[in-house]
Amino acid sequence: MSPVPLSRLRWQRAAGKALFLSPIVFMVLFFALPLALTVVWSVFERTMFWMKPGFTLFSYENFFFSARLENFLASMMHSSVSVVVAFVFGFPVAVFIRRRIPQVAQHRVILLFILPFMVSEIIRIFALRPVLQRTGLVNTVLLELGVITEPITAILYTPMGVIIGEVMSFLPFIVFAGFLAMEAVPKYVFEICDDLGARPHRVFIDVILPLAAPGIFAGALFIFVNGLGVALLPNILGGPGAVNAGLIATQAIAALDFPLAMAVNAIMMTTLLGLLYIGHRLFDLTRILTPIN
Amino acid sequence: MNQLEFNRRMLLKSATAMAAVGAAGTFGLSSAQAAGPLKLWTIGIAKVGAKDWSAMSKQAGIEIAYNAKSARADEAIQKMVVGDGSKLYDAMSDNGGGMEDALASQGAVVELDTSQIPNWKNILPIYNPGGSAADTIRHKGKIVAVPYISNADSLAYNYDKIGADLTSWEALFDAQFKGRAAMQNDFGPTLTNTAIYLKESGKQDIDNPSDMNAAEVKGVCQFLIAQKKKGQFRTFWDGFGNGLNLLASEEVLVSSCWEPIQIVAAKKSKMDIRYGTMKEGHQTWNNCFMLTKGGLARGQSDAFYKLMNVYLSTWFGARTLATFGFGPQMQGVNEYVAANPKDFDAALIKARLAGKADRYKVKGNSWQNVFPTHIRDYQDWWARVQAA
Repeated sequence: MSPVPLSRLRWQRAAGKALFLSPIVFMVLFFALPLALTVVWSVFERTMFWMKPGFTLFSYENFFFSARLENFLASMMHSSVSVVVAFVFGFPVAVFIRRRIPQVAQHRVILLFILPFMVSEIIRIFALRPVLQRTGLVNTVLLELGVITEPITAILYTPMGVIIGEVMSFLPFIVFAGFLAMEAVPKYVFEICDDLGARPHRVFIDVILPLAAPGIFAGALFIFVNGLGVALLPNILGGPGAVNAGLIATQAIAALDFPLAMAVNAIMMTTLLGLLYIGHRLFDLTRILTPIN
Repeated sequence: MNQLEFNRRMLLKSATAMAAVGAAGTFGLSSAQAAGPLKLWTIGIAKVGAKDWSAMSKQAGIEIAYNAKSARADEAIQKMVVGDGSKLYDAMSDNGGGMEDALASQGAVVELDTSQIPNWKNILPIYNPGGSAADTIRHKGKIVAVPYISNADSLAYNYDKIGADLTSWEALFDAQFKGRAAMQNDFGPTLTNTAIYLKESGKQDIDNPSDMNAAEVKGVCQFLIAQKKKGQFRTFWDGFGNGLNLLASEEVLVSSCWEPIQIVAAKKSKMDIRYGTMKEGHQTWNNCFMLTKGGLARGQSDAFYKLMNVYLSTWFGARTLATFGFGPQMQGVNEYVAANPKDFDAALIKARLAGKADRYKVKGNSWQNVFPTHIRDYQDWWARVQAA
């Protein structure tokens, strides 16, 4: 076997280094730089159709001392409720798939949850309206069954409509993240619990939850982030008072107030980075993909 | 860019476009073929004759690539002035009065040569110099827009559920319709209609509902915020489909909306949904088409003028009136309808024209102005209404 030429070795080493650095370059180009620009633009001065370089905190003042802050906090609360509801419905599904479905079929079952994502988000959200509206499917069925005498109007064009939309749209994420976290828990852990006669709720609280916490947090954060940022949800399903950060930014852009839109984005990113930091300190998010020994 | 530069660039681009057309002609291609279909950025109800754009395309003898456009003026201005609108679209429709000035002042749309539109001779006299609507199609005295529809917007209401005719905007803010009322998610019509109501009912001093000062805008918006916080509005509708769905599904019983929404909602729901005449007045408006600077540069003027000739034909005017209830912008529609009795319900058209005439007669009417003098105040306060 002939020795590898020195130049080829150097090239391979350089290529390896470039490959290693590419995620960093990607993150700088597509995350850090846009985020930095967002912050910079947020202190620019607004002009009639665009903005010009300068330094003013007017956009932040415009956000913190108006109904926008109230709406932002309200949308955080709605997103939190969506996270809890999605967890209640979604995480048991992940546990069930991991524990009860034969290993060879687990990924196929999980893939079923991807199917709704084959349909455009806007269509999925729009499709909820004929279901939830005054003369929609839910009200018609309940009225026919005699369960209600008046149509329920609290489920559309209200914050509850937004929460329903968020849960319907993002539920699969808690299933994916939960399943991923559960995959990191070896099956023998459950067998040991069974052998020791642990009751299901003790297994869930004392074993599953702590071990799957990073995955649950990741899924929860994903739902929370989308709840704050996807403007379509309050726009289509919310009433006149339903606004999230994404919609506030969209409205600012529509009003040609670009610095305000940037300020809203900067505030949202800061909030999310803060939550990520707290989550990492509490749950060590690097554990998500680390198998338990 | 000043007006001189604007004209110079236009001239250069026209020359370039003409050269390109000439070159294409050398190789046996028509200008339309060379430039491809006319990329039209407009609303779906700008077409008549078929469910798609085929009838319009056939009448004009050009290919049309339709691009759906939202009904919000600020979004459209933003896309054309700081966005990529001119690259994407050859021609566009406006969102009401005043937009042409904003777009032309920024060089986003170009001056038109009306001699290229044979039907221009039929245009309503109100558009001639000195006419009441002359300014709506001109920027600094030059024609930059072709009107194709007009109306006086009013209140649609579900007569079957309410059991009475409504003749005042008061209904929109009446507690008996709490949670069953809607207004448009656009500061233009919503603030103007509310201002007309507040002014004419003596609730607020407003000089000109079409062009309010900062204090007047604040007063109108504070009124809307108070109504919103009381839960008066079910939602603010956005776009034709949304406005239609709200009325047809009985989510709302009263809605300030466009006439086509009322017409289609009544048809769809099979309920008696009516379009009233409001005693305080209405926002009157027209919609126009403009040639973008990109469209001119890409050699699409010829196709644009052919399409505009259709928009100013009685073929279009009679059909937009019959289908959507929009006011035609040319003379001779009655004669056209009379000459084609099989194609139209003459009684229906008569009733629509009568309703329109009633609305136009109201003293408090105010012309739509999507680019008011204090637009920043409009935008800021509208954002507060949305966020409240």
